[in-house]
Amino acid sequence: MSTGTPQYDVCVVGSGAAGGVMAKELSEGGAKVILLEGGKRVQPNQLLTHKWPYELPYRGLRSEKQDIYYQGDVRKSVRYEDSDDVGVDRIRVVGGRTVHWNAVTLRYAARDFRERSLNGIEEDWPISYEELAPYYERIEQMIGVTGQDDGLEILPGGQHYLPPLPWRCSEHILNRALKPMGIPMIPVRKAVLTRPYDNRPPCHYCGHCMDGCDVAAVFNSATAMIPKAQATGNFTLRQNALAREILVDAEGRARAVSFVDTSTGKEESVKAKVVVVCCATIETARLLLNSRSPQHPNGLANSSGAVGRYLSGHSGSAVRIYVEELQGLKPTNQDGATDHAFIPRYNHLSGKRNYVGGWDIQVNFASYMYPQQANRIPGYGADFKAQVRRMQSGYLMMGWFCKIVARPENRVTVDPNRKDASGIPIAVVHFRFGENDLAMWQDVVKSIREIGAGVKGPVFLDSEQPGGFASHEVGTARMGKDPQKSVLNGYCQAHDVKNLFVTDGSAFTTSAEKNPTLTIMALSLRTAEYIQEQRRRGEL
Amino acid sequence: MERRTALKIVALSALTKNLGTAQAAVTGHCAMPSGTAWSATAESYKLQFFTESENALLDQLTEMIIPADGHSPGAHAAQASLFADLMVAAGDEPAKSQWRNGLARIQEEAKKSSLSDALAQAAELSDTPSSDVGQFFVALKQMTVNGYYTSEIGIHQDMGYIGNTYLAEFPGCTHPEHQ
Repeated sequence: MSTGTPQYDVCVVGSGAAGGVMAKELSEGGAKVILLEGGKRVQPNQLLTHKWPYELPYRGLRSEKQDIYYQGDVRKSVRYEDSDDVGVDRIRVVGGRTVHWNAVTLRYAARDFRERSLNGIEEDWPISYEELAPYYERIEQMIGVTGQDDGLEILPGGQHYLPPLPWRCSEHILNRALKPMGIPMIPVRKAVLTRPYDNRPPCHYCGHCMDGCDVAAVFNSATAMIPKAQATGNFTLRQNALAREILVDAEGRARAVSFVDTSTGKEESVKAKVVVVCCATIETARLLLNSRSPQHPNGLANSSGAVGRYLSGHSGSAVRIYVEELQGLKPTNQDGATDHAFIPRYNHLSGKRNYVGGWDIQVNFASYMYPQQANRIPGYGADFKAQVRRMQSGYLMMGWFCKIVARPENRVTVDPNRKDASGIPIAVVHFRFGENDLAMWQDVVKSIREIGAGVKGPVFLDSEQPGGFASHEVGTARMGKDPQKSVLNGYCQAHDVKNLFVTDGSAFTTSAEKNPTLTIMALSLRTAEYIQEQRRRGEL
Repeated sequence: MERRTALKIVALSALTKNLGTAQAAVTGHCAMPSGTAWSATAESYKLQFFTESENALLDQLTEMIIPADGHSPGAHAAQASLFADLMVAAGDEPAKSQWRNGLARIQEEAKKSSLSDALAQAAELSDTPSSDVGQFFVALKQMTVNGYYTSEIGIHQDMGYIGNTYLAEFPGCTHPEHQ
């Protein structure tokens, strides 16, 4: 093993939403930063975003457009054990999941930080919305967010939005149906530019946000954060560097990160005064649990036993509605920037519930190219073909995201007997939905059917059974005030290891119904500021 | 595992966004070079799984499911059977058996009456999970749908899709009656 590398001030592991912010902020602050990323960079001209299905070998049905983001054996290096029908999303590429996302950016509400105090479940976060709000604001300015402040307690707004995306006909009709039900619908908030911003061009409305944006109108860390870190002269990016273990000194403090260069198979390590883990919820738990030593026999920062536990995220599914009054109209270009409208959580506005938490609904984040109804309506032949064509102009899709209650038995472990191509023990996911999750599911399906009836048109649910996690898994190294029940303090600093920080989704104490990325970035920014302050004081 | 992952990610990681089928998650090796246009290679396409006679039967069946009409050509013109050959060839053994046995069953039934009747009988059983021929119809229809609506003919001529292009501004709904 080579250990002849220089010592860096900070080693950031992972280049996605959390790692990009962290690397940029610390580099700009003067720290010597090295970023280890398990994947390699994808250039814009490598994207297949605008390819037609018939230009692809399997028409895109074998994930040809997405394979570029799942490098190496990342898809294989996880398994599920005693689990309900869930899947975790792991990616390996410079920029992490920000190069392959829909970019919906939602602030958590004040109540989302206080589940124990308000509802008697889970734990309160060790920080409040008020403490995180300034960082939300700065991140929104940094990445460029379209939308508006709608004045909703359940979805706090900021002051620096780009013009919202205009609604399609189906969205206006949906809003018309929602009003008498007392359900508000608002312009979506997402990190997609509707005007030139930060030397990035605006969206060109091709409709392929999640396939990768070739002009970076959709925010991603690879093109909007890492170049800024590189411009400081303080930053080093190591691609194809798959972290194996965080090494510690005699006192149990992090001293280095060992990794495998997947392009050569060579074992290396990099020394750093501070280590920040930003590998996302599953891989972060895997890395910490694989970092066992005499000082940390149960894995790094795991004296509480909470590393890997409290795995949470979202359950959800989607519905396809074919709006009667739009069927049969002449085709128009409806793709745009995927979703333009958003339905914030509304179940708290009326009635009593036998569960805690809620859901929100993203509207029209599916392409209009492929007629989904063709696999849902019965029959065949000329009438079938004509019906498929007629229905398409009425297409309205909604996907809902439900809070999952964090429970200790839902967890990530590692399997020492099964290793990936680099010889690193893989992650094992153990997950079962709880009573609260299932009770909420019954309510959301009922509500979705009521909305469908209000819109008027055939309604097709993708699934009536809960599935997870919608790429929104969180919670395996949670923050908390009590070191015996949590891994991190309110600054995402390990209780056990002063110079170790974790700022990805695993740091979440609890999940809300909101997409987690904006909160991940705000936490990372706040922690970066804290690290700089602590370094100035000589504490790190 | 990856199949389960892809199917359950409600964020609809782009493959479901575009195509939304279970087949989207099948894994395997590409038989055609990346980026090859179907329209350019179909003429020289060599069957990988089906026999010539199976393909001829499949071609007829797909055209019966999505026929040519006054609006657009059908599945035959879109060469949906060749798409099916490629997909089945890359699939697993149970799927291959289903296709081979299913086509044989349809052929057998057709001899008793007609191909049209045989397909209709299979379609009637499509809601019966225990019926092999019914489940074959489900697979056949889905494959035809996927092959047709991802083809140039299906996307452009039939559906009249006009997205996947560059717009300076997105107009949104321009119909006052919908607002």
